[in-house]
Amino acid sequence: MANIALAVLESALRDRKLDRTLTTALPPLEQGDDACAPTGVAAIDACLRNGMPRGQLSEVAGPRSSGRTTLLLQMMAAATRRGELAAFVDTFDRLDVASAEAAGVDFGRLLWVRGQSVSAASGAPVEWAVDRALKALNLVLQAGGFGLVAIDLADVPGTALRRLPITTWLRVQRTVEGRDTACVLVTPEPLARSAGGITLTLTGHTLWTGSRERPRVAGADMHLRVVSPRRRVGGEVTVMARAVDEGLTDVAVGLPPSPKATADHRSFSVGG
Amino acid sequence: MTGALYAAAGSDPDRLVEVAREFSPRIEVCGPREITLDLSGLARLFGDARAIAGELRRTAADRGLQVRIAIAGTRTAARLLVRHRAGITIVEPGDEASALAPLPHDLLTGLTSGPPEVRSRGSLDPPQGTALSSGAGSSGPAEAAELAAAFRRWGLRTLGEVAALPSADVAARLGQAGVQWQRLARGEDPAPLVPAVPEERFEQALDLEWPIEGLEPLSFVLGRLIEPLSAHLERRDRGAAVLHVRLHLVSKATHERSLQLPAPMRDARTLRTLALLDLESHPPQAAIDRVVVAVDPTPARVLQYSLITRPLPSPEQVSTLMARLNALMGEGRCGSPAPVDSWRPGAFSMVPFAPVEAPSDGPGQVGQVSKTEAPVVVALRRFRFAVPARVQVEDGRPVRVTTERRGLDGGRIEKCAGPWRTSGEWWADTRSGGSGRPGGAGGENTPWDRDEWDVTASDGATYRIFRARDANAWFIDGVLD
Repeated sequence: MANIALAVLESALRDRKLDRTLTTALPPLEQGDDACAPTGVAAIDACLRNGMPRGQLSEVAGPRSSGRTTLLLQMMAAATRRGELAAFVDTFDRLDVASAEAAGVDFGRLLWVRGQSVSAASGAPVEWAVDRALKALNLVLQAGGFGLVAIDLADVPGTALRRLPITTWLRVQRTVEGRDTACVLVTPEPLARSAGGITLTLTGHTLWTGSRERPRVAGADMHLRVVSPRRRVGGEVTVMARAVDEGLTDVAVGLPPSPKATADHRSFSVGG
Repeated sequence: MTGALYAAAGSDPDRLVEVAREFSPRIEVCGPREITLDLSGLARLFGDARAIAGELRRTAADRGLQVRIAIAGTRTAARLLVRHRAGITIVEPGDEASALAPLPHDLLTGLTSGPPEVRSRGSLDPPQGTALSSGAGSSGPAEAAELAAAFRRWGLRTLGEVAALPSADVAARLGQAGVQWQRLARGEDPAPLVPAVPEERFEQALDLEWPIEGLEPLSFVLGRLIEPLSAHLERRDRGAAVLHVRLHLVSKATHERSLQLPAPMRDARTLRTLALLDLESHPPQAAIDRVVVAVDPTPARVLQYSLITRPLPSPEQVSTLMARLNALMGEGRCGSPAPVDSWRPGAFSMVPFAPVEAPSDGPGQVGQVSKTEAPVVVALRRFRFAVPARVQVEDGRPVRVTTERRGLDGGRIEKCAGPWRTSGEWWADTRSGGSGRPGGAGGENTPWDRDEWDVTASDGATYRIFRARDANAWFIDGVLD
């Protein structure tokens, strides 16, 4: 009975051409040949069906040490390897250049906009820094020509993020719409994405190896959950990241991926 | 018919050029005091040669110049005559040799070697050598002096006597330089007149009726000045290499800004935006009553777009974006990072963002998922200024880390690795400069000496902490993320 009523309702809406106003009735976005910016990680790209969508606002969300920055640097490295330009709006000036170099980012194609490294203890400077970072993001998006534009809001307190008006993200989405730019937010928790964008929710932990007396950081286990109803992609992916040697006198990091890590790298699921 | 103007010593060379240009577009600047003019066709305007010379002299006198004038059929004759005789000298075409005959042949020394001050002139420098013999076996000052000495040894005093020598014998004894002198002595031109092209000035100025304050009204004025300038550049197929903005203030001071553009550009909106953004950062100290905009022209860019690779933003777009970002974030905070050759933790430098076209792996990487996948490496989120921390140590290992910064909870340390000791710049002189931050978190050339640990705290995060050995204090350097 209910199905008949629903069918009648949908038929009536179709007759009056109102069916497309329903989010659930929106057709899936067609993915053109060049509609996505690959992240550079095969498992994630396979799950996302080529990568982060261009012309959309997507987000990478997760707690500290979940692998947000690692994933973002991989995206920037992949974009610059393709010959595209990448821009990184670094709200609190947190980018470690050595990590970016280890990830393979071509610095000649990276625009780094450094915010102020303000103290989070006081509320006003944080909001000031966020405000300037958002203005810089808008300037970069308006200029165009970038394949990937990312803003790092990972260390912004949740209260400051929630105080941002929702029109902020609508404006960003309008700016990026129709362009070849994939816009990515890096946040501590899901904040905003456009209808055709993707939310990557990360959970992860640091992997340790070595003896009990001499433990060492082997890498990180990154677990991604993909949400994007309109793109009909979703699922969960687990990626192993290895630690990088930063040139310390006693090399304790910089281990090659363990056999288990390699296996984890391959184990991912698509769909669901 | 050619005329020569020779101004008295101390005359303004620019005025002399102005006078000459009023009479003929075809002038050749032979030196700061000497100009030759092509006077063909002026007879219909002024009358005969004497009338033209009289008009020239009157015009020069109106500009405060005392000039000698010679008009002859050839340039060489006019120049030799004007150097020798004061006032006005007129020689009918064909009579040059006879008119020059009584003149001393030493005059040729000045012509063939050229006056020394000619070389030192800036804008008035002719495009080629000013010596009459240029392009036809020009002789240097030493060679000219040798020739003059040779003629004197032979008992010759005048140009007529030099011209009367048999050419074949002169060539046999003095070579081509001697023959060249003989032709000059007869008043023959070794090369046609090469007209000087007036230097084009790409400059616009506007005197304001009322002084203006603030950048908003100035933007309209700049737009009005830059648009015709941009059109001028486009007509000449030139681009601006440097944009100069000179503001004359009511305080009688001048506020001048020069923008070095990364690429030749002539888009009026871009130039105006760049000028305004620069003035936003460096505003004038008083109201403005005169605005002058000038550009240094340079050949325009030639672009070839690719059908295969994605186009990069144009230099105009990049310049405008960088100017806007610098105005927003501050100078030096936008650009491309560059690694530096240093063991200092977190060391880097900034370079201007200037992307260049480079061959890519392919257009858009359609369906090619990570063709050249690099290994995924754990990144560090580095605190540019290390966060002071309280660390509890047991048996030489940290067991608890906390900070006063909101959001950096820390807690009991569940796993830790370390310590790794690094130090550097201990040889640097710390008495001058350096922030002296413990652990080397300061700027360059400040020493650091630290023991680093990687710790996973009970809040789930993995931190990189260090103990600054010089201050015996703990800090959080970053978070593995």
